[in-house]
Formats: sequence, C-alpha cells, structure tokens
Amino acid sequence: MRALVAAAAGLAAALALVLTVTAIGPPEGETSPKPLLTSAPAHP
Amino acid sequence: MRRRASLVLLAVAVFLAALAPLLRWYAYPRLARVPAGTYQTAVLEAKDATLVDYARMEPRTVPKVTLVQTLKGNVEEARKVRRATGRDVVVWDTLTHMTGPDGAMISKIPERYVFDAHGQQPVHAGGEHVDGTPVRRDGIEYKWPFLVEKRDYRYFDMQTRTSAPIHYRGTRSFRGLDVYYFEQTVPWTRVPFPKTLPLGVTPEALRQLGLERWYTTRRMFWVDPVTGAPVNGEEIHREELRWTDRPEKQPVTAFAGHVKMRADYVDSTVALVTSQRRLVLLLTSWLPWGSAGLGAALAALALYLEARARPRRAFTGQKAHDGGKTERQAPGKRAARSRGGSP
Repeated sequence: MRALVAAAAGLAAALALVLTVTAIGPPEGETSPKPLLTSAPAHP
Repeated sequence: MRRRASLVLLAVAVFLAALAPLLRWYAYPRLARVPAGTYQTAVLEAKDATLVDYARMEPRTVPKVTLVQTLKGNVEEARKVRRATGRDVVVWDTLTHMTGPDGAMISKIPERYVFDAHGQQPVHAGGEHVDGTPVRRDGIEYKWPFLVEKRDYRYFDMQTRTSAPIHYRGTRSFRGLDVYYFEQTVPWTRVPFPKTLPLGVTPEALRQLGLERWYTTRRMFWVDPVTGAPVNGEEIHREELRWTDRPEKQPVTAFAGHVKMRADYVDSTVALVTSQRRLVLLLTSWLPWGSAGLGAALAALALYLEARARPRRAFTGQKAHDGGKTERQAPGKRAARSRGGSP
C-alpha cells in the first residue's frame, strides 16, 4: 500500500511539473525596435 | 529506515520515469516554438554579377551586388492573429533590399509571412503579402519545421509567389554540423516587377516600353535538422527583361549572379543555431532519455533495498509489513528441546 502511495506521489509530481511548465510557456518577447535594414552592416 | 529509503527512491523513480514521455510528447510540442519577437538579418553577396543599367537598358558587369534580408517578428500582429484564430502564430515582416556596388538601391521587396509557431505551417489570417500584393502561401519559407525529415518540402518562392517542392538531396557536414541539403530549381517564369525600382523607374513605365520580367533560380539550403534553421543559403539567380511584342530583340539581363551568404553571417548563424539546437535536444532527447535511465536505475535500487530489508525483518521476527509470515524459532531453542528427549 505504501509503495502504491509513493508511486502515485511521484506520478502526480511529474504531471504537476510538466503541466505548470507548459502552462507558463516560453516568453513571447516584444517587437524589436530595430528597423528593416536598407544597407549592409560593415564586415567586422 | 531502509524501508523508508526504498519508498522515497520508488517515488523519485516513478517521477523520473513519468517525466520522460511527458517531456517528449507533451511538453516539447508545446514549448518548442519560434519566438514571436525574432529579429534577424542576413547579408548575401553576388560577386562579379550582371546588372541592368536602367538608363541605357543594357546589362553591365559589376564587382558586387548585395542583398540584405531582415526578418522582424511583429508581436502585436501575432497576438491579434492568435485571438482571431486560436493558434499560436508568428508574424514576420521581412524586407529583401538589393543594392549595387555603389550602395544604391536596385530593388526592395517587403513581405508579411504568418505561420504556426510550432509546426511552421502557413496561417491564412489576412495580411499575408509580397510587395504589397496579397498572397496565400502553401509550404514553408525561410525556415524548416523543428526536427526536419529527410524528405521533400513545399517551399514558397517570393518572386513567382507560388510554392513548389524543394528536394532533400542528402546529409552534408557544414562547419562541424550534420545538416540536410535541400535544392529547388525554379524554371523560367514570368514574374511581376518589384514596385520599387532605381532611378525613379516604375513597373508601369517598363510595361509601356513593352517589357516583362522573367526569372529562374537554383536555390540551395543547408538546414540544421534539429532546429530547422538554414545555416547557409545560396542561389544561382537570373532575371531577364523580355520584349513582349518584339521577339527579334534580345532579352536584357536584369540580374545574373551566384548569391552567397557573407562569411560573417554564416559564422553568426552557425553559432546561433548551435546554441538553439541544444535547447531542442534537451527536450527531445537528453532530458527524456536521461530521466528514463535514472528512473530505471532508482527503481532497481529501491527494489534492491526492499529485497534486503525483508529477510532481515523476517529473521528478527518483525511481523509488520511481512505478509503475516509465521515466526521462526531460534536454532538454540530447537536444539535445547531436542536434547530434552522425545517419545
């Protein structure tokens, strides 16, 4: 019985972690203020 | 104590074993996405190219033609499309700006490309265009989906504004990366004039002269199979101005050249892709396999501890959690009884 409870706790923790991480998701970011280029940047 | 340790190990083992498939098949498809706010530039050059001189309507050889390509993610538009369609999308506003050896503009073609952030499929939510003309894309452009397959894809051509297969031609090694090589040939096709041309020339003026624009290209991409990002691109590109009503007149070469990515942009693209592919591999391979392996090892350790704990408890006469086994007598007692004689 204790083994079953331990296994269920492990499974629940994995589900909770993955669902939380995917719900938060990666940051969207913002539109860059940089312009669409009309000249080539110099070769470094 | 050993019993408690084996239970904790079992819980951690199940946690890790469950994490492996969840990461690969639940988290990865939701987390791997093209960032909506991407800003990326690429400079491509064609050395010793042929370019039309619009003042004389004659082709001339120039030492270098430069193409500057900018991809800019429009986050506000992406949010609007997501609200309208319910899909996680990326909106790229792009500009392909072509300049001659003196830096003067030859043409500039803006585009809007709307696609699914996870799978790269085009999303038709309005606003898609090439040079201000609405288009309906079919297939990919600029980037392949994550985890590229060894097969042909449909690739959108901004000049013809149609899609055609781009063929997988094998795996190559490029700057230490194993990449998939793709190639597409667009046959001679009549295409629209760019709306912005040099010297104040307008598409309408060229049409009135009896000219139309034809184009062919052989397009080559070296694509990182993990991220789907091209690490190098080349084009053998030819454009002609053909006379519509005077077939006896030779076409004028508007542009001919072998366009290659500038070396510093190849370096920066390879560096960017190398860092990004680690994140994708982490979700698709390293973490799932690592947690599955570690989970299996911890489960084995938990079983081992449990197995070692059981006989000891039985021997010492503990009844708890042993399944109700009968108590064994100590050998000394049995010996004493036997010495006492029996009937």
